[in-house]
Amino acid sequence: MWKRRLKGRKNTVILILIFLVGFTLMTADSKRSDGAYFFETFFLWVVSPIQSVFTSTLDSIEEVYDHYFLLVDASKENVQLKNQLNTLAREKHLLQEEVRRLTRIGRLNEYQTLKSGKSVVATVVGKDATQWVKTVFIDKGTDDGVHENLAVITDAGVVGHVIQAGLNSSKVLLLADRRSAVDTLFRKSRVPGVVVGLGTDTCEMKYVPVTAEVKAGDWVLSSGLGGVFPKGLVVGRVLSVIQSKQGLFQEIQIAPGADFSRLEEVLVLLP
Amino acid sequence: MPGLILFAYGIILFSVQTSLMDKLAISGVMPDLALIATVFCAITLSAGRGFAAGCVIGLAQDCLSGGLLGVNTLSKSLIAHTFCQLKGKILVEGVVPLFVFLLIASIFDSLVFYGSTLLLFQNPPSLESFLSSMPIYVVYNAIVGPFLILFFNRNFQWWSRKLQSS
Repeated sequence: MWKRRLKGRKNTVILILIFLVGFTLMTADSKRSDGAYFFETFFLWVVSPIQSVFTSTLDSIEEVYDHYFLLVDASKENVQLKNQLNTLAREKHLLQEEVRRLTRIGRLNEYQTLKSGKSVVATVVGKDATQWVKTVFIDKGTDDGVHENLAVITDAGVVGHVIQAGLNSSKVLLLADRRSAVDTLFRKSRVPGVVVGLGTDTCEMKYVPVTAEVKAGDWVLSSGLGGVFPKGLVVGRVLSVIQSKQGLFQEIQIAPGADFSRLEEVLVLLP
Repeated sequence: MPGLILFAYGIILFSVQTSLMDKLAISGVMPDLALIATVFCAITLSAGRGFAAGCVIGLAQDCLSGGLLGVNTLSKSLIAHTFCQLKGKILVEGVVPLFVFLLIASIFDSLVFYGSTLLLFQNPPSLESFLSSMPIYVVYNAIVGPFLILFFNRNFQWWSRKLQSS
């Protein structure tokens, strides 16, 4: 009897189950302080090696497209010479790419030495699987000492912080994400404020009083408060300042120091 | 065996989504392969399997995103369930019906995201920024989706023939 009744209301039961599971996951996620669920670690573990292969393949294709094909078009007359030239040019560009990569890592290492703290160089292997969130995946995880709430930077500035660490890959919440907030201060005036993400290429600096002198081009540094980012890291530069007559605080647009669309190698600052 | 093939396709799908899709972004908006795959599974597989595929795709997308866990599980499960129910009643083949379905599915998916972040986040996205990216997201999915679904369908039929013959 109850089975027949249940069959008649199958759709309702499924819909209730969907909402129940969905909201349970959301509530559990919003209440969790740190650590990842086993299925999150599992999906990261499964996808990250393939992600790395795709990213490196894509880089190689871009490299070949950018340089190799252009050179092929430029030397049509002599096939033999062209082939030799192309082979050499391809090798040259591969080497140049390697030099560029090593230069970037070198800059990060110099930065690491200057900061005299422990850190690990990681490669960005993927971006967020949805449209709405600003995160990236890096190829270092708990096996390399990476865990939640560690600062991630480049030589150009703060990138974000680790929000989830798997065995050999981690998720980094970018400064541009709406949930990101960094306690900061102006390099010159030392006036404090909080830089928050807007979900776009720019960020906003909040809680800077109207009495503070701020102008476009001013450098914004991390204040060291909050426990994630050490003091003195470049967060960005002031793009524009709007002082409303009625408000207590200024509206300040910040251009992040790091270019989030071109992230390749990053430095994770270990405790 | 079909389960393993679908699992392998899933890994490739999410690897492509997280590594290549941002190269195809228009104004920072990229197509949602998970959504397209959900619609494909819902209209191709049996009702139970289609719905299960939607749940797993949603959960995997949640795990590979820094957003709120459960949002995509909820939206993809609902989309899969709806299309599993609809496919017996209306025409779901051809580019135009798929275009319309993906348009509706994308609007629903983005509204579920916005609604849940509005309810559960302290700093939800402003309506202005959401409305500026949502139309591009919806139209992009609706244009790219039908062709991808046709491609998935061909692959699916090829694998089905191959498995039946062996």
